[in-house]
Amino acid sequence: MRFLGIDVGSLSCDAALLDERGELLAATVVPTGARNREAIARAKDEVLRAAGVSAEDVTAVVSTGYGRDRVEGRRAAVTEITCHARGIQALLPGTRLLVDIGGQDSKAVRFDAQGGVADFAMNDKCAAGTGRFLEAMARALEVDVSALGELDRDGSDGATLSSMCTVFAESEVVSLIADGVAVGAIVRGLHRAIASRTLAMIKRIVPDPSGLPVAMSGGVAHNAGVVRALSAALGCEVRVPPRPDIVGAFGAALIARERFG
Amino acid sequence: MIGEYFSGLAHDIEGKLAAEPGAASARKIFALEVARLGVRLYSPGRPVAWCGVLAPFDLLNAVGVTSCFAEFVGAMLAGMGAASAPLEGAEQAGYAADTCAYHRAVVGAAMQGMMPVPDFLVATTTPCTGGLAAIENLARLFRRDLLVLQIPRAETEAGVRFLAGQLERLARFAAGRAGAQLDPQCVAAAVDLSNVTRALMVEIYDLARRVPSPVSNRDLANFGIVVPLLMGTQAGVDVARATRDELAARARDGKSGVPGERFRLLWVQNRIQFPNPLLRLLEDEYRAVIVVDELNDVTWEPIDPADPFPGMARRAIGLPLNGPAERRVARLRQLATEYRVDGIIQPCHWGCRQGTGIRGLVQRGFQELGIPVLNLEVDCIDARSFSEGQLRTRLEAFLELIAGRPRVRA
Ligand SMILES: Nc1ncnc2c1ncn2[C@@H]1O[C@H](COP(=O)(O)OP(=O)(O)O)[C@@H](O)[C@H]1O
Ligand code: SF4
Repeated sequence: MRFLGIDVGSLSCDAALLDERGELLAATVVPTGARNREAIARAKDEVLRAAGVSAEDVTAVVSTGYGRDRVEGRRAAVTEITCHARGIQALLPGTRLLVDIGGQDSKAVRFDAQGGVADFAMNDKCAAGTGRFLEAMARALEVDVSALGELDRDGSDGATLSSMCTVFAESEVVSLIADGVAVGAIVRGLHRAIASRTLAMIKRIVPDPSGLPVAMSGGVAHNAGVVRALSAALGCEVRVPPRPDIVGAFGAALIARERFG
Repeated sequence: MIGEYFSGLAHDIEGKLAAEPGAASARKIFALEVARLGVRLYSPGRPVAWCGVLAPFDLLNAVGVTSCFAEFVGAMLAGMGAASAPLEGAEQAGYAADTCAYHRAVVGAAMQGMMPVPDFLVATTTPCTGGLAAIENLARLFRRDLLVLQIPRAETEAGVRFLAGQLERLARFAAGRAGAQLDPQCVAAAVDLSNVTRALMVEIYDLARRVPSPVSNRDLANFGIVVPLLMGTQAGVDVARATRDELAARARDGKSGVPGERFRLLWVQNRIQFPNPLLRLLEDEYRAVIVVDELNDVTWEPIDPADPFPGMARRAIGLPLNGPAERRVARLRQLATEYRVDGIIQPCHWGCRQGTGIRGLVQRGFQELGIPVLNLEVDCIDARSFSEGQLRTRLEAFLELIAGRPRVRA
């Protein structure tokens, strides 16, 4: 018996395949692009091929992410809040607060002592402070998003950014570069701004987060600079599982196994 | 345009009811009476008053004035899918796009000639200052007399006397505009009808409290906020009676409004007024039912027909949306317990201080009771900013959360 979780996000489409004991056999991340049906098919093919499993051997598929209703052959569609929560509790048991920052939204999930979801909050209205925001800033800085975490290391005190609107922040970044501000300092300033925005969202559901076991998931958790800035803002360590961008797909596969195994 | 819409609607429903009298559902009768009110507002004849939400509509009905709160127009336009043009009109005239869209829509509609010119206007200082400002703007636009009812924040004897005096002056003024003297007999008759409607509303909400509840997500949508417009008339009694009878019959037959009811919800403040798939989603995929709306509540005592003004004053002052937020939160907690709800949905309507300002207090108040709260953050009128996917995810995640936790309700 094999269980497949597919997370159709705004930027990436992720798949995770489990065996009957719930062990991860393979996982994959492909860009969602404009046609998400193609991305879904590709993610599925890739993960099956990587594990050497044929499609007939998959007992159940659970989909998640904003495109969850597009996944054909799914036994259930479950929201990314529940799937990320389920995934992180398996990867980092005892987590009491999860911060998930993806391509176009960010979420905070508070857990009770048993690991059940007690409350959650999502960013409102716009994508400021999410993955897309960082991608636009990286473009303005003419660096790759994957380099932001390293650049942040030599950011000294960090620059101050006044706007979190993607359009205004982009022109602000451009003028900081023109003023000769070091790229590292700008990057650190951006990460700090994201952390303080995320903290405001967290505080809506956890008024005093200091000292809580906190974890982070989603593609942006790959960015060590954001993780450090968030740790500093929260006043506690933020743990990141080895593959933070597949936590949702992994959680979906675990739910498939629990419900249909 | 709106006038034609109402007459078309009234005509349609009347036709259907005449062809098949047995098919008269309570909701149809409600829609018919609302449409008839719309027709009266848009046809010359009786004097018309545009009002604030807390105006005494039974009193105005008693003296022969057709009256309505202005926000009703915003809700109607949104329901018809026609709010964009007036909203844009108001924005182009300088209204900030993050003010309450009920008011933006109504001011835009007035500027675009979609509202009947009233004979006078009656603003109320609560529940929101935005409403007061909107009515003031309408009065300026229409160049008509404006009366402002100053509603005290707390129910003291002096406060009740203060408002009762204003109501009496309003009654004389309105009667004068309708070309008559204030007739205490007429007012007493209207108050009697109002009290009957009130008693039926109490019965309706008692029925809705049952487990499983006989109400579906649509049965009582906008009920508690719109029925006051029909208070003091036989139409109000008819609507309330039909609703009571329908729910009582369902309860007697052991039928629930949402088959296989699983989750019971409390909806804070107003519903989303434009067509959207969220209520269906709640019912069809989660068997979740909004058993109580905050505004479907009777928080006043029957009014003395021989001395109506103090009772009407108490009714307005005692509304939980008036006064300190703690009072509102306390009432919400009471409702949640009485209706045994599993979760609270707070739309946090954009630009509404009542809706978004109270959000943290509501959350804290329910945390103590162990009942989860969802903040939707939606504009209930302006469909231009509706993001279905985002709201769907919030709503579904909330129901998954409720499904995954042990039941706290009694
Ligand atoms: N290696 C990386 N280093 C830094 N950031 C990354 C990396 N990989 C992905 N990201 C960030 O993650 C974002 C995508 O997150 P993801 O969780 O995949 O989004 P979604 O689920 O919405 O598709 C990107 O916009 C980017 O900012
Ligand atoms: S939604 Fe809020 S601001 Fe708008 S009319 Fe109602 S109370 Fe006033």
